[in-house]
Amino acid sequence: MTRPTEKEIGAIASAAGVPVDTEIAARIAGSIGPAFDGFAAIAGTLPFDLEPSTFTLVQTEKAAR
Amino acid sequence: MRSEPSLMSLTAVASAIADKQLSSREVTQSCLDRIAKWQPHLNAFMAIEADEALKAADAADAALAKGGRHGKLHGVPLAHKDMYYEAGKVVTCGSRIRRDFVATTTSTALQRLKDAGTVRLGSLQMAEFAYGPTGHNAHFGPVHNPFALPHVTGGSSSGSGSAVAARLTFAALGSDTGGSIRMPAHFCGVTGLKTTVGRVSRAGAMPLSQSLDTVGPLARTAEDCAVLLGLMAGADPADPTASALPVPDYAAAIAQSMKGLTVGVPSAFYVDDLDSEVASVLDATIVTLKREGANVVQVDLPDQRQLSSASQLVLAVEAAAFHKRWMIERPQDYGPQVMMRLQNGLAISGVTYLEALRWRGPALAAHNAATAKVDAVIAPVSPVPAPTIAESDVGSSPGAEAVIQRLTRFTRPINYLGLPSLSIPSGFTRGGLPVGLQLVGRSFDEATILRIGAAFQRATDFHEKVPQLP
Repeated sequence: MTRPTEKEIGAIASAAGVPVDTEIAARIAGSIGPAFDGFAAIAGTLPFDLEPSTFTLVQTEKAAR
Repeated sequence: MRSEPSLMSLTAVASAIADKQLSSREVTQSCLDRIAKWQPHLNAFMAIEADEALKAADAADAALAKGGRHGKLHGVPLAHKDMYYEAGKVVTCGSRIRRDFVATTTSTALQRLKDAGTVRLGSLQMAEFAYGPTGHNAHFGPVHNPFALPHVTGGSSSGSGSAVAARLTFAALGSDTGGSIRMPAHFCGVTGLKTTVGRVSRAGAMPLSQSLDTVGPLARTAEDCAVLLGLMAGADPADPTASALPVPDYAAAIAQSMKGLTVGVPSAFYVDDLDSEVASVLDATIVTLKREGANVVQVDLPDQRQLSSASQLVLAVEAAAFHKRWMIERPQDYGPQVMMRLQNGLAISGVTYLEALRWRGPALAAHNAATAKVDAVIAPVSPVPAPTIAESDVGSSPGAEAVIQRLTRFTRPINYLGLPSLSIPSGFTRGGLPVGLQLVGRSFDEATILRIGAAFQRATDFHEKVPQLP
C-alpha cells in the first residue's frame, strides 16, 4: 500500500462530498502519509474470512479466562 | 480537614459527608472558593454553576439529615468534560458549532454518577470536539497546567486534568480516543483511567470515533478511579456496544498489595527516545514496583508503529464521517487545527479503513500472546513532560506539528487494541513538571491495574503534591 498522492486525495475527497483544493490535498498527504507507510506491511495481507467483529471475540476470550 | 475540604480525596470526602463530619455545602463552598482563585489562571472551567451547586448541596444535606442517602457519593461536588450530555444543560463540546447546544438527554455515565448522589459544579474545558492532544482551543483559549502555567495540560480532557490537579473538583469524567485521559493525567500529575472499549457506556457522550472512544475518570488516586468505575461500568440498553460482562468489585481489588503480580517492561518502542527525566522516572518506578513485591520482567511487544498507524487511519475516517455535514455546511466554525485533522479522514479509502478495522482482532490476539505471562505492562504515557503552550501551538510555532506527533506516540497503540490503561503520577522533573506512567492491562481487567496503581500510591506520595499559585 502506498500513501495517496495529492491527486488521489482530491478525487477521494470529492467523491466523499467534501472537495479540497490542491494546497489542502498536499497538506493532507504529508500529514496522513506516515500512517499509510506504517500500515503498509499489513494492507493486502489479511485473510479472507476475517471480520472486524473478531476484535470483540478476542477481547472477551481473554476476559473469560 | 475543615480548613480546606477540597484538598481531600473523593473517597475521603464522601465518607466525611456520609459521617456528617462535613456538610455537602461546606465541601461545595470549598471547591467554589478554590475555583474562584484558580480559574482566572487555568481556564479549566467552561461553566461554573455556583448557585445551583450550593442549592443541590443544601438539598443533599437536608436529605442526609432526614436519614436519606442516595448513594456512595452523596453530596460530593464534581464537574466533567463538557461533552457529556445532561438534559437541559448547554454542552459545547469545546466548539463554536455547539456553543448553544442544549442536550435533551443525559449520558449514562453521568446519570450513574448523579444516581450516586453527586452535585454538579459546572462543566470543564476540553479540546474542540475532543480532537487535540495538547489543551489548545481556538474558541475558548488554552487550558493551563496548574504545576506550570505556561505549559500545556494535555488533551483532549484538558479542563479535567487541570481542575483535578488544582483540587477544584474531586474527580472528572474525561474521554480517551487516542490518549485524551492519560495525557492530561500525565502532564497534570493526576490519576487517569482509560477503560476497556465497551466497559463503560458511551450513550450520551459526544462521539469522535465509534471504534476507539472510551469513557473514564480522572481523579487524585487509583482508589477514587476504582469507585467511579464501579459506579459507571456495566451493560446499558442505550448503548449496545457496552459490554454485559460482570462488573468486578474494584474496591476489593485495590485493597490488595502487588505481591505476586508480574509487570512487563517493553524491550523497545516505549523505552526509545525518552526524555532523560522521563526515563529516570521509569527506572525509579520499576525499583518501587520490585520493592513492593511485583515481579518485573521484560516483554517483547509486536510492532507498535503498525498499531499506531492503524489507529490513526480508523480515527481519521470515523471522525470525518461524524463531522462531514458540518465540514460542508460550517467549515468556518472549526478551529484550524481541528479542521486540518478532520480533513485527513478524506484521504482514506473505504477499503483501507476496513482493513485497519479488520486487523484489530489479530493485533489484539498477538498482543495477548506476547503479554501472556504478565499481569500488566508499564510504559511512559508520553516520551516527554508537558511542553509549553507556545511551542505546541500549530500556527505560531513552526515545530509544533512535530511536538504534537511525539506526544501521542505511546497512547495510540493502546487505543487501537482497546485495552485499559491507568496513568499514575510517578515523579516530577527538576523543573517541577509531573511525569506519569501508564499501566496497561488485559481487556476488561481494570481491577489489576487499579490494584497495582493503588499499591504504588500507598508506597509513594507523587499523587499528593498540590500545585501552588505563583
